[in-house]
Amino acid sequence: MKVLYTDSLVIGGGLAGLRVAIASKNRGLDTLVLSLIPAKRSHSAAAQGGMQASLANSVKSKDDNEDVHFADTVKGSDWGCDQKVARMFANTAPKAIRELATWGVPWSRVRKGDREVVINAERVTITEDAEDHGLITSRDFGGTKKWRTCYTADGTGHTMLYAMDNRAIEMGIPVHDRKEAIALIHEGDRCYGAIVRDLVTGELIAYVANATTMATGGYGRLYSISTNAIINEGMGAAITLETGKAPLGNMEAVQFHPTAIVPAGILTTEGCRGDGGLLRDVDGYRFMPDYEPDKKELASRDVVSRRMTEHIRKGKGVPSPYGPHLWLDITLLGREHIEKNLREVKEICEYFLGIDPAVDFIPVRPTQHYSMGGVRTTPKGESPGLKGLFSVGEASCWDMHGFNRLGGNSVAETAVAGMIVGEYVVDHCESQDVDIDIATVRKFLAREQANIDAVFERPEGESVWDIRNAMQTIMMEKVGIFRNGPDLEEAVEELKVLLTRSRSIKVAAPARGANPELEQALRVPRMLKLALCIAKGARDRTESRGAHSREDFPDRNDRDWLSRTLAVWANPDDLEPELTYETLDIMEMEMPPGSRGYGNAKAIEHPDTAKRVAQIEALKASMPDADRFQIQEALMPYELPEKYQGKNERSGVEYA
Amino acid sequence: MSTVDQPKGRTLVFNIMRYNPQVEGDKPKMVRYEVEETLGMTIFIALNHIRETREPSLLFDFVCRAGICGSCGMIINGRPDLACRTLTTKFPDGEITLMPLPAFKLIGDLSVDTGTFMRRVSERVGSWIHSEEAKNPNLNVLEERMDPDVADKIYELDRCIECGCCISACGTMRMRDSFLGARGFMSVARFQADPRDKRTDADWYEVLGDDDGIFGCMTLMGCEDTCPKDLPHQTKIAYLRRRMVKVK
Amino acid sequence: MTSELDDEVRKSRMPARLDFWQSATGLLLALFMWTHLMLVSSILISKDAMLFVTRMMEGSTNPSEEAGYPIIVSILAVIVLIIFVVHAGLAMRKLPANWKQWRTMRSHVKMMKHGDTTQWWIQAITGFIMFFLGSAHIIIMATNADKIGPHQSADRFVSMGLWPLYFILLFAVELHGAIGMYRLIVKWGWFDGKDPVANRKRMKKLKMAISVFFLVLGLLSFAAYMRIGLQNKADGTVGIPYGGESGH
Ligand SMILES: Cc1cc2nc3c(=O)[nH]c(=O)nc-3n(C[C@H](O)[C@H](O)[C@H](O)COP(=O)(O)OP(=O)(O)OC[C@H]3O[C@@H](n4cnc5c(N)ncnc54)[C@H](O)[C@@H]3O)c2cc1C
Ligand code: HEM
Ligand code: HEM
Ligand code: SF4
Ligand code: F3S
Ligand code: FES
Repeated sequence: MKVLYTDSLVIGGGLAGLRVAIASKNRGLDTLVLSLIPAKRSHSAAAQGGMQASLANSVKSKDDNEDVHFADTVKGSDWGCDQKVARMFANTAPKAIRELATWGVPWSRVRKGDREVVINAERVTITEDAEDHGLITSRDFGGTKKWRTCYTADGTGHTMLYAMDNRAIEMGIPVHDRKEAIALIHEGDRCYGAIVRDLVTGELIAYVANATTMATGGYGRLYSISTNAIINEGMGAAITLETGKAPLGNMEAVQFHPTAIVPAGILTTEGCRGDGGLLRDVDGYRFMPDYEPDKKELASRDVVSRRMTEHIRKGKGVPSPYGPHLWLDITLLGREHIEKNLREVKEICEYFLGIDPAVDFIPVRPTQHYSMGGVRTTPKGESPGLKGLFSVGEASCWDMHGFNRLGGNSVAETAVAGMIVGEYVVDHCESQDVDIDIATVRKFLAREQANIDAVFERPEGESVWDIRNAMQTIMMEKVGIFRNGPDLEEAVEELKVLLTRSRSIKVAAPARGANPELEQALRVPRMLKLALCIAKGARDRTESRGAHSREDFPDRNDRDWLSRTLAVWANPDDLEPELTYETLDIMEMEMPPGSRGYGNAKAIEHPDTAKRVAQIEALKASMPDADRFQIQEALMPYELPEKYQGKNERSGVEYA
Repeated sequence: MSTVDQPKGRTLVFNIMRYNPQVEGDKPKMVRYEVEETLGMTIFIALNHIRETREPSLLFDFVCRAGICGSCGMIINGRPDLACRTLTTKFPDGEITLMPLPAFKLIGDLSVDTGTFMRRVSERVGSWIHSEEAKNPNLNVLEERMDPDVADKIYELDRCIECGCCISACGTMRMRDSFLGARGFMSVARFQADPRDKRTDADWYEVLGDDDGIFGCMTLMGCEDTCPKDLPHQTKIAYLRRRMVKVK
Repeated sequence: MTSELDDEVRKSRMPARLDFWQSATGLLLALFMWTHLMLVSSILISKDAMLFVTRMMEGSTNPSEEAGYPIIVSILAVIVLIIFVVHAGLAMRKLPANWKQWRTMRSHVKMMKHGDTTQWWIQAITGFIMFFLGSAHIIIMATNADKIGPHQSADRFVSMGLWPLYFILLFAVELHGAIGMYRLIVKWGWFDGKDPVANRKRMKKLKMAISVFFLVLGLLSFAAYMRIGLQNKADGTVGIPYGGESGH
């Protein structure tokens, strides 16, 4: 029996996990990172477009600040987020970006003088102030009032991840790669680390830790067509669910990105549209202004994806052997711009489509992209069900995204949550001892070993690939962009059948060490549990909110559904999760529910909304001399680790 | 859309090196697989097809399958390249031979351990910003300014995805494991170009100044000609060499 | 100022110097060889031209009339020999050091089918050959500087049976030298111009052209010497200088 001990165990070597590891190590904890793959290959590297932070350096982002960023985030979430967390986030994002700048991210910078940009299909000249020359610049993204998305050309995630991992290497933080956490060790209401399978030797190792942080990214691969990396199978969330104690939050909130290429499903960044690219249909017609006269191509992702689907349903899609698609047109940006700022997009077009995006349209369609849901945590990042279990990044439901996350807010979340939650992880370790009985560790090791032995020993059984493919198809067809009761009902029932079948998977490849079939066999039943959380959550949520869009319930329903879904898998043998709901209290909101300003849905109002609006009006009126910080504080106080409480300086306005 | 015009229904022949060092008595061998070509097929799609229909034990590594994470470097018909972004239409005769990247530790079949190697390179180069500022930045104040062109230049060099193609394509590297390799040179070039990094040429000499470093490079240009991200190996290696011979 | 402590903790500057001198000696040799071949090929114009050149090299003040001092050629040969030996010594550090390295490199070259790598291989082999044949030739020249001329040189080809040496050496030196010059340009980034990548392609073409030019020139001269040598043999005039070539 191999047991390793550490203070802070971080499962996941993406941006979020590494930042927690850095925070842990910084304050002297023994820290260790686990990853399926070398940390720099984590899917964070795929983020192209950028990271939102209200630096307000560029002329098109002047007057931006935490308040505007906060408001955009809440609207984007369709009021489904935790507003305190959104506040924590908005205040820390500029710090995160500045920290990354000192760690080496070569953020694209403001260049003084005139610059031609494409806004609303027209070439416009904007002039950058000489005062701001050399500061970090930003671009336009969907659902944002200001140009707030900072970037390095279109390799933002890559440069961020490299800077982050390099920092971790500098600090001597070990990353154990090709290791997969396959179960959490827990007893009572306390988490003690994880059982880990070495993906090369097949050995099971117990990593015992004071704090365990789940930073395992998204679960896009539950769907057959996804922009996600193929390792994004949601194992972190799944093994958390399997504790039977720690809940997952808002699993039905799944984002579809408007512009992934057909058929490969590889993303072309939102930056394409942010920089002025257009969507066109089979006739070459620009259709978005008809649906969204105001924000057009740059409404939030959920809205654009649905509009595209609607338009395709009207028969306006371009037929292809892979089904109908639409066109993304960036030809109007000009070759120079594409080769400099959208270089990865250009490479993707060349290698996967054999086209030149400076002259050809790009075939795109909405594709699964982001998991808003995940391991439910408190604002401190800790699981409400298991002490010592934390979660950050896409794996978590810290809940700043609610039912739809804005482009650029995700990599921002990884860095910011890593900074904030990282501090709380250390606080936890400094205040708690590890008091685990070694028999508990042994029990979990034995359970996992037995589970592995079983898939080898069955004389015959199901093929893991068949089950996985069936699951992915169900999710795509019945739990996709547009949802409805009957489809969702079917999906739940079919997934339950698959889950039962998955309990008799037989692995043909005999190797005990590196064995891809075995890896799948261990993951697929867990993926099915996540799929069931999504499908059941979607079936039961009889409203439309953010990315969750019900054809049979098209309106947002604040009266009955202003709540967060919590899923718990109570018994290992169950076939579906238990769902409960956590109410979002309007009376505590800084920004009560209202109109997003894009999308067509109406909202069924909650009685508290009007009350809270009146309360806020009154409060503001009672503080005529207060600045925006004081008003905010009065409306909705929130906590932050002390080192991140400071105000952010901005060019020209200092700390105002 | 050009993917639609691709020839259909060819039978592709894959010759794949199979060897699992963990299985006792196993020996490297080439195994032949036939695969029906489909529209827009990449080596990624074909390998998964082989694994799912015939050879569940076949080992290979893909993560992003979009040419950006660097996981899928392998020897494709003699040259290192990214398998995920290689369309099968690239091979007019339909014969594709796949081998694992040499110069790295073999995990099995087409899978190699690039992670350990790359981390060692990072540690050797000190691939992080060396400055006092980076250790204790004040996060509330305006960021330090940087010329936009300098930022662009750093990004050019920061685009490396650690795929290992340049390492496997380098004869020097193959002969001498202690050689730093082109990935290391690109990393040095990247931090050397960064004004935030305070290292001097004398410091860089400590990293590069021997026959395991820049003076060991025999200008074979395998790196330049196989780097899937088109990093400027040719000019940057020459540049570093010029700088390093001048160090007093 | 370097102290003893510096020498303990700092990397030695020697590798930088060695690399510099490897290139410098290579450059000198290559320039010398091109000149050398032009001179030797004067035989293509006429025996008198060759004689003229020989005398000129001997430092004759009136080469069309009288001979100079062959000792000058001997001294030149010794200087070249030294450069040659230094270059060989430095460059040989780069050759495969053992059987394993040799095998790895060979299979790498075969697998990659990559121009610059293959050319390095050619350089390594030709260098190895020249080490023996080249030094033999220079020593012969140094010790027989008084026996150079249209007839005596030709006799060395035919009657002394050295023609295979020259034949092999010709190919070796022309390939090695031209590749070496190309490599120098890339290695140090000379003439990079605006588009270094395109420039490298141009340099490669230029290198090919130079190789062909000097090989053709060399083969023609070779043929000329052979013809004269065979003639001398048939005439029974072996060892007898042309005209007044041994004017001592
Ligand atoms: C194509 C694409 C483009 C995007 N572009 C943007 C953008 O422009 N802006 C933006 O804000 N967001 C973007 N996003 C979203 C954003 O990139 C991700 O949400 C974010 O990077 C997730 O980071 P993470 O650290 O949470 O997880 P990841 O980076 O996915 O890392 C997960 C880590 O967990 C490890 N892991 C997983 N399971 C296990 C296990 N069982 N055991 C051990 N280790 C495990 C993995 O090895 C990996 O290291 C994009 C996403 C995609 C797919
Ligand atoms: C100072 C030194 C040298 C002198 C004086 C010299 C002189 C000569 C002379 C006079 C010849 C004509 C043949 C003969 O007389 O034997 C010749 C031929 C030749 N030499 Fe040299 N040589 C020198 C160095 C070298 C070196 C270093 C090389 C290559 C490694 C070389 C390669 C050749 C070749 C290949 C030929 C044959 C040319 C042909 O066939 O066209 N020489 N040299
Ligand atoms: C004993 C004979 C020789 C040997 C063993 C030899 C060997 C080599 C080798 C192995 C290299 C490659 C070095 C590297 O990759 O770093 C090299 C480079 C070179 N050689 Fe030679 N060589 C010999 C003679 C010559 C001659 C006669 C010439 C002139 C024509 C020459 C010109 C060059 C040049 C220009 C280079 C490039 C230098 C560099 O890369 O630094 N060499 N030689
Ligand atoms: S330099 Fe190029 S070839 Fe080398 S590891 Fe980086 S991306 Fe790959
Ligand atoms: S291939 Fe190798 S020898 Fe130098 S030029 Fe590139 S590192
Ligand atoms: S799988 Fe990521 S580069 Fe190929």
